[in-house]
Amino acid sequence: MKWFINIWRTLNKPAKFLTLGTVSLSAFLMGIIFWGGFNTALEMTNTEEFCISCHSMESKPYQELQETVHWSNHSGVRATCPDCHVPHNWSRKIGRKIEASHDMWGWLLQTVNTSEKFEAKRLEMASREWKRFDRDNSLACKNCHNYDSMKWDSMSKLAQKQMKRAAELDQSCIDCHKGIAHKLPDMGTSRAPELIAQVGSGESAPQAEQTYFTALTKPLFYNDKTDVEAGTLNIATKVKVLESKGNRVKIGIDGWRKKIGAGRVIYYDFGLNILSAQLTKDAALEEGVIETFEEKEDPMTGLKWQRVEAQIWTDKDYLVTDLQPLWDYARDTYTTSCSVCHTQPDEAHFDANTWPGMFQGMIAFVNMDQDTQALVQKYLQEHSSTFDKSAH
Amino acid sequence: MAQQEASESAKQVKSKELKALSFIIFLLFPILTITGISAYGFIIWMIQAFGGVVAH
Repeated sequence: MKWFINIWRTLNKPAKFLTLGTVSLSAFLMGIIFWGGFNTALEMTNTEEFCISCHSMESKPYQELQETVHWSNHSGVRATCPDCHVPHNWSRKIGRKIEASHDMWGWLLQTVNTSEKFEAKRLEMASREWKRFDRDNSLACKNCHNYDSMKWDSMSKLAQKQMKRAAELDQSCIDCHKGIAHKLPDMGTSRAPELIAQVGSGESAPQAEQTYFTALTKPLFYNDKTDVEAGTLNIATKVKVLESKGNRVKIGIDGWRKKIGAGRVIYYDFGLNILSAQLTKDAALEEGVIETFEEKEDPMTGLKWQRVEAQIWTDKDYLVTDLQPLWDYARDTYTTSCSVCHTQPDEAHFDANTWPGMFQGMIAFVNMDQDTQALVQKYLQEHSSTFDKSAH
Repeated sequence: MAQQEASESAKQVKSKELKALSFIIFLLFPILTITGISAYGFIIWMIQAFGGVVAH
């Protein structure tokens, strides 16, 4: 403390021996050296060598990048880590650098130091990066790619149509182009947190003889105790609770099945490929699970269909009395997810059996977990022209 | 105070002044600058985290 007071005293009065020239020149030189040094250090942290000096960066993102067009292409220009992941504008760059200090914790605590840990966190990390791109309207991409410089003629007709529309809106590239420099996370494994938040986890005690709708895809079981799964019950399926025991309920599923193989898939109605439940082969053949009724032939396919009622157990959670909240969620998801890249067709534009093919063909382009996928597909099918006669 | 200063030799004063100057240009100001830049970066981070897009 004493030396500091001494220095303070010295600084507080005019210098006796140091000339104004010495003071200003040394300050000037130090200014240059400091600022130069600072920016050199900053640039050092902005090189690929620096990024991949961490094992987790080198082993996954860097290796994956090498398989993409951003690593090697006919123009010989390649993107390095900071080109896409650090803003080029000075202020934003400093902000990003400070934000990245958070990554130091990950390094210290070894959050993603193995392949398993990395994969487990991949969706979370990718979502964070997508959010950043979203916020910037994909500025990182647009530092190199420019809508105005695109040569439409060398694009396919379909690409032209999509890109021209995107150019008009100055659309964010990441809206459509996800998973182009690193592997796309596996969206299917996580349940649907937003759906659960909106629709809820169902009745606390489902009553016997009442009908309910499934608010998630649910596992089916042989009885009220066993962990052996007997199949899956599709989302938004109407079931009737027959009896309740502990955490399980016995339910009845009405529907139709195709008379081929073990006939283990139960559909919503005759001739419609709307999934209600898929039993395992063993469960479908098990005595007392499926009760069969009349048969009919589908003139479109020549297949024989059979009306069935399955009686089987499931967990008593995620059974809701009202179907509408599920449809509301599905409609919102359909409208927002699909309109990102194109105008989405009306629900009633296709019939119930055409929708699955249409929907599955597009699903790779959007970020949707399996429950939401199944729900949206069912929403589209049950609001298709098969049911809504007003459209065509 | 004046007496204390008068008692100091010219050599002592010169060394004090050099020390003070070095302290400022090599330590104090660089540290202050880096702290300032970090604080600026932190503010930008927070604005982006809570306020969404910033103008650029």
